[in-house]
Amino acid sequence: MSLIQHLTRRLLLMIPMVIGITLLLFVVTHIVPANPLAVILTERSMDDPEAVKAATEKWGLDKPLPEQYLIYLENLLKGDLGTSFKTKNPVASDLKNFLPATLELSIGSFIFAILLGLPLGIISATKTGSFVDHFTRVISLLGASMPPFWSGLLILFVFYYKLGWAPGPGRINSRIGAPHSVTGLFVFDSLLTGNMPALWSSLSHLILPSIILGWFTLALIARITRSSMLEVLSQDYIRTARAKGLAEKWVIMSHALRNALIPLVTLVGLAFAGLMSGAIMTETIFSWPGIGRYAVEAAANLDYPAITGTTLLIAIVYMLVNIFVDALYTIIDPRIRAG
Amino acid sequence: MKLNRVFPFVMLVILLAGILTGCGSATTPEVQSPAGATSAPAEPTVAPTGGTLVIAMNLDDVVTLDPAYAGETTNLFIHINTYDTLVDIRPEDLNTIVPRLAESWDVNADFTQFIFHLRKDAKFASGNPVTAADVVFSWNRLLNVAGAPAFNLDGVGKVEAVDDYTVKVSTTVGTDGKAQPLPQFLSSASNPSLGIQDSKLVKEHGGTDAADAKTADKAKEWMDQNSAGSGPFILTKWSPKSEIDLVANKNYWKGAPKFDKVVITHVSDPTTQLQMLQKGDADMIGNLATDLVDQAKADPNLTISVDQSLDENYLAMAYQCPDAIKAKNPDVFKTLQSPDSFAIICKKEVRQAVAYAIDYEGIAKAVLNGYAARAPSIIPIGIIGVDPSKTQGRDLAKAKSLLAAAGYPNGVTLDLYYASNATRDTVAAKLKNDLAEAGITLNLKPLEQSVYLTQMRAQQLPMAFGGWTPDYLDVTMWTDYFGLGDRSIAFRMWFQNADANKLATQIRTTSDPAIRKTAVEQLQAIFIEEMPFTMLYQSQYVHAFSKDLKGFKFHPVWFVDLSGLSK
Repeated sequence: MSLIQHLTRRLLLMIPMVIGITLLLFVVTHIVPANPLAVILTERSMDDPEAVKAATEKWGLDKPLPEQYLIYLENLLKGDLGTSFKTKNPVASDLKNFLPATLELSIGSFIFAILLGLPLGIISATKTGSFVDHFTRVISLLGASMPPFWSGLLILFVFYYKLGWAPGPGRINSRIGAPHSVTGLFVFDSLLTGNMPALWSSLSHLILPSIILGWFTLALIARITRSSMLEVLSQDYIRTARAKGLAEKWVIMSHALRNALIPLVTLVGLAFAGLMSGAIMTETIFSWPGIGRYAVEAAANLDYPAITGTTLLIAIVYMLVNIFVDALYTIIDPRIRAG
Repeated sequence: MKLNRVFPFVMLVILLAGILTGCGSATTPEVQSPAGATSAPAEPTVAPTGGTLVIAMNLDDVVTLDPAYAGETTNLFIHINTYDTLVDIRPEDLNTIVPRLAESWDVNADFTQFIFHLRKDAKFASGNPVTAADVVFSWNRLLNVAGAPAFNLDGVGKVEAVDDYTVKVSTTVGTDGKAQPLPQFLSSASNPSLGIQDSKLVKEHGGTDAADAKTADKAKEWMDQNSAGSGPFILTKWSPKSEIDLVANKNYWKGAPKFDKVVITHVSDPTTQLQMLQKGDADMIGNLATDLVDQAKADPNLTISVDQSLDENYLAMAYQCPDAIKAKNPDVFKTLQSPDSFAIICKKEVRQAVAYAIDYEGIAKAVLNGYAARAPSIIPIGIIGVDPSKTQGRDLAKAKSLLAAAGYPNGVTLDLYYASNATRDTVAAKLKNDLAEAGITLNLKPLEQSVYLTQMRAQQLPMAFGGWTPDYLDVTMWTDYFGLGDRSIAFRMWFQNADANKLATQIRTTSDPAIRKTAVEQLQAIFIEEMPFTMLYQSQYVHAFSKDLKGFKFHPVWFVDLSGLSK
């Protein structure tokens, strides 16, 4: 099967999966013994039977559940995710508002995790027992065990409050202000508009939250790279490569790393999607206006359309990343395509 | 095996973290690292313009900035600074209504008609004059959009322009064919949500005040990002959960504000808010968490202001027994949560015993480090007729004897329901401890906010612990909702008491301060005797801002008037 065929099939398979997710979400959110009118209406208008009736009709809550679900599906086909009970805005436009911030932070943390995790993993594998190996182990241990709500506050306290090396919370210095919005990604937008102070400020604001969010992923990448590399380095063809007198640099980078990458690609793909959905704590601590906070509030307020919209978005990101990773395998290891 | 080799590194990291954080304890004066001395990506230093005020506060509750839709708390702060109301209640005197866009007003004897005379020199930020037509448009839009703040106009039947600068408001006609009195209307009119919108501008952006505004009004998207008022500032941008930008209205009819620009930036963590203030990244912050007050006081560059709010937390107890409830409403009776608790708490002596068993001072200390006050009943300190000297504290012996008198010498078991969060969990645990000392076993039933509200509104809870925040500064904000058996909290907790009803009705139908004062005193006595609600605490808010910021005056409804601030 060609790569194109394979991808098309995978993309088509997403449709029943998306429907399945909406169905599951619909059932789960409606099991909760609470009335979403408590969110739609205010404290006082709940006392007004007319207001309650009007709101029930307006938001379609008087219809039987299967009908509500079909209406939702029908609107979804038209690209309409519904209107949030809480913000009274279309969920699609809310997501559009909050997604760029999360995306920017995820990319930042991802770059941080790869740039540091990969070399640390490789060096740890090639020089086991060295200082770098131990250092990596400690960093990984800390990354895996420190919860972001603690490490985030700590890092802000030390590097912002005490040392003043890094800027405080938020995406950009309030006195500079956001660059003119093109994509919603501040770093990218300030580059496009040539706004240097905004570029510098938004880049520097990315550092601390990226470290906190990416730390766990870094730990994961470093550990998996190390074990994967160690396994590959003990293979016969590495011995052969060394025996034919290749420089160690080539043996490691070309022969070993490429083969060690396969388990890593799977992991990295999932980790990127995980960064997007796992940013809630980091977003809270660094006052980062992303979808994490939006999702939490939607859940707390029983804001059905917002809950479904956010979950769908994250689910689709997961699926797309998975497909992308599968496609990447075939490039790294042609045997997979052949098989 | 390898542990002994890893161990020193772990210790090194922990030690390093310890040194960095440990030496942070206030004593060492901060040495500013010189700019450029490090290759680390520090913030570029921005030249202080003196023209921008930066406020770091929690903006989580802002979901819209259209005054016809917004019904939360922070929007009131934005709206009072971008829109003008007809009348005003200033922080200096919360019991007096003063002119704002209206120069004067006439109210008829039975509070069914209000005539406002507008000042003629007021202009919107757009340059359009403020006229009676704008008032009619703004209030009709509010009513017909029927969003969250429309309740501010409850009881208003008709708003009409008599001439360009005169507005007549008539109240609704009741089933008896008579216009219903609305004595609290002037107070409601000072609510920032009733600020006057520039009708031309709003219409240009799709706004309408027609009867079908609920679906036909399309201005919200624009109004979320821009203001259409005559206030001292103009809204120029809102990024949800991130930032609100205001610029000065240079042509403000009361004179241009001192700051050219105000940036309100969203920071939810209180510690970080204070850090930003201390670092100079913010000039002012929202409410300072009380456990940070000492740290803020120790900083010579900050001013601290402790302000009494009208926000309160209460414990509500069902007033009627299951039998009476069954007779009145068999459907609700079937859904009651913890009917056993209902049967016990509906006895007056038990409610009194609960109130006497609570260690209020301990609660205030536990959750607010003592930054709280307490009124004798549910009507807070600062409101006409409330006498703080009547406040009853803890009396365990009395609680025990009341319990015995109710027929429970060996104690009782009760279920307390509440919407769980960190503060309420602390208070609930304290309540459980306190009541145990009087022989009352309290089962805590923490719920999700939405579940709690649903059950409470359906009158299903025997004991509920919640909070109350005023929308306008009239005593009816408390006497209506806690005293009238068909409203809000009184309704939900089955508090239907003929005397309380009569007094609350009397308060709603007069604006004579002397009559109101006496009625509030009597109602307060009924609340103390019947004890359907006991006030747990009335919060004080601590505000911190940079020393060079002048003119801060806290307002319990809308926080602060930014045009009064200067550096």
